[in-house]
Parts: sequence; structure tokens; C-alpha cells
Amino acid sequence: MLRLSGPLQSWGVSSRFVRRTTESQPSKSGVVGLLAAATGRRRTDPIEDLLTLRFGVRVDQPGRLVRDFQTARTVDGARSMPLSYRFYLADAAFLAVVEGENDFIDQLDDALRHPVFPLYLGRRSCPPAGPLTLGTRRGASVADVLGTEPWRAAPWWQRTFRSPTVTLETVVDAEPGAADGATVADLPISFDPERRLYGLRTVERGTVTVANPTFVEHAPDDDPHQPMAALGGI
Amino acid sequence: MHLTQFEINPARRGAQKLLGSPQAMHAAVLAGFPGDDVGRGRILWRVDSGPRHTYLYVSSVRRPDLTHLVEQAGWPTTATWSTGDLSGLLDSLAVGQEWGFRLTANPTRSTRVGDRERSQRVGCVTAEHQLDWFLTRVARWGIRIPTSGGSPSVMVNRRDVRSFRRQDDRVTLAMATFDGRLEVVDPDLLRAAMVDGIGPAKAYGCGLLTLAPLGRA
Repeated sequence: MLRLSGPLQSWGVSSRFVRRTTESQPSKSGVVGLLAAATGRRRTDPIEDLLTLRFGVRVDQPGRLVRDFQTARTVDGARSMPLSYRFYLADAAFLAVVEGENDFIDQLDDALRHPVFPLYLGRRSCPPAGPLTLGTRRGASVADVLGTEPWRAAPWWQRTFRSPTVTLETVVDAEPGAADGATVADLPISFDPERRLYGLRTVERGTVTVANPTFVEHAPDDDPHQPMAALGGI
Repeated sequence: MHLTQFEINPARRGAQKLLGSPQAMHAAVLAGFPGDDVGRGRILWRVDSGPRHTYLYVSSVRRPDLTHLVEQAGWPTTATWSTGDLSGLLDSLAVGQEWGFRLTANPTRSTRVGDRERSQRVGCVTAEHQLDWFLTRVARWGIRIPTSGGSPSVMVNRRDVRSFRRQDDRVTLAMATFDGRLEVVDPDLLRAAMVDGIGPAKAYGCGLLTLAPLGRA
């Protein structure tokens, strides 16, 4: 279980050329890449074992989409590089879950605590806020975890929901052979910079309802302090 | 002594002017008394704004006439104000009683600013300082704050730094509203604190301590 939150994050799936977009939730390729970096794999190293993991995310705090219009010049300042738009999610928080063999998951959890390469949220310029891993859970499926883990949004965001429970969006790897679902080009086959390759992955979108820890039974509408009640003879 | 409750209609322009400037409210409250009443005892007031009601409380020796306030900032065709006799409550204060209370005050401390010769009064701006200010003074008001679960049963419910014009000057006040429970230790001291007010800025909506029966909070 990972909590992905930071000032900025960016999870591109279909970016081409100078318009680098972000999905509204972390991509499997992004998280697999993060795990690969934590375990110290280089770009060209095999990642087949990571692809056996089942993956799901929950949008605990959607954040806001921000656009960065970027200009750059070559080091000597002579030529300008192509202008580009980069999109980020600001102030978002996600719960990402990977499911797999116990030993392998423990190994990954350990790697996240002692990463070999620096970890970041989709793009090198997006450092995570706080520890990434929330630990492991034995015998639970992705759906179990997404449905039962406490809400991991920032307290200030939670307080804006004045209800005892909240409904959060989830995006989970579809069961093999599932009838419906959306297909995204988000199955990393190779991170080799010379030849990046992504396969297709089918996802199922859904929602889960979790408790809002900041909810308090609404205060009485009337001020509890009624000084006139202490007086006689009005 | 009298305590008056007046409900402010915040939708009215007159109300916004009064709520926006303690100086204007001060003038409006004093205008509720004929000239020779003003010199007689302290007139204290406070605004309690809640989610549904905004009340002005005034404590005074004589009954006020707030007709002008109703016209400016109330509901002229339906609502007026209510004045109750505070003397009964003041007389019935006895050692050991427990009351709910509210106090909006201007907590200050004196400190030397720069290389001036005399120290200067500055407002306490953090909640901790304000609570400290309150708790170190309760004994001289003849009260004790009971503790519940190890901490005193009082909290700073609202904090404000109000800044407004007074003729050609600018007045800046750090205000804090204390809500909680108190126990009467010395009825005479408490009576004096309630009649004369507590702390600085009494003209500007600070210093009025009101009591309310416990149980609803």
C-alpha cells in the first residue's frame, strides 16, 4: 500500500512530443517504475516480475490540474528548445495498492523504505511528501484494501466534506476476461530509453465509500451560550 | 444593572457599518442612553456572531433605548430588543456555583518596544498567549476554572485582530473570545468584574463577561 502525495505529481500515459499530459490518477507504469527504481533496477533491466502485480488506485484527494508552460534553451544559450506544456496534479493524494506473492510484496515494501534510486511521483521534479509505503496487508485483495483503508487525504481537504462518509473513485486492473472496462496504454513492457514499450491494460473504474474522520455531529445551530437565560424579569 | 440582548440583522447596510467598526458600534451603543446616563457606571457591550444569529449584548446601569439601532440594523417592523435585570443574578452569586461563561477580551501585555523609555502595551496575538493571559488573571475576578481531563475547561473560540479608524488614528486590537465553565470563588470580586468589565478596550466590545446556565453546552 502506498500513499502518493506531494506538492506536484504527474502521471502521463499518452503524452507525445511537447504536450506532456497527466492522468487524473497514478498510472500503473508510473508506480511500476517507482518500484523498479526502489529495487535498484536500471532502465534496461527486466521488469516482468513487476508486471505480475495486480494494481489499483483510489483517489483520496483529487488535487488540481496545473499547467506549466516551459521554455528552455541549450546550455550555451544559442538555440531555444521546443516550447512545451507540462501538466501536473497539485495537492493530490492517492492510495495505490499492488497485490502479489507475499515474499515479493515484503521485498518491495522493504525497497520502498530503503530505495536504491530516488523516488518521485511520475516525474523527477515531483518528490513525494512523506514516506511512500503504508506497509503491507496479508491475504487482502486490491479491492479489499481500497474499500477498507482509512481516507488518506489531508485533514484540510477532509474537513471540506461535511458528511460522515465520502465516496472515492477507484481505478483497478480488470479481472481477466472482464466484459467491460476501458483500455489504456499503460502496461510497461520496457523502460529502455532507446525503446520504450507499453502494452494495453484494461481497467475498471468504480467507487468506494469510506468514513470521514473529521466529521463531527453538527453543532447545534443555536449558540449554546444564552446569557439572557440566567436573568430574571425580562 | 441591566443586560440587553439585541439581534442584529446583518443583511442591512447599517449593520455592516456597525459590525465593521467597533468605533461605530461604540457610538451606537452609547446613543442608546441619554446624556446624563453615560457617566453613570460602565457601559459594556459585545457582539456574538453565530451561524444563525448575531446578537449585541449591552450591560449598563440604566435600561437602554435602542430604537435607533432597530431602525439602522434590526427588523423595525417585527423585532426590538430585550432587557433583563442583571442585579438579581449578581446578588445571587455564591461561592461554589458553576456557570457557563463567555468573555471577549483584549489580552495585552506590557513590553519595551525598541529603545523607548516607557514600556508599551501590545496585544497578545497567539491563542496560547491569550489563554495564558486569561488563566493568570482569573483569581482577581473571583473565579476558578475547573479542569476536565487535566486541562482547564476554557477555550479560545474566536480570535480576531480588528483594525479600525478613530478620527485620524488607526486602532488595532487583538481580540479573543473565551468560552468555558467557571466556579465562583469570591462573589464580590466577580460582581465587580462583571459590572466594571475586564481588561482593556472596554469601549470596543471587550471586557463584558456574561454567565449562562450550564447544561446546554
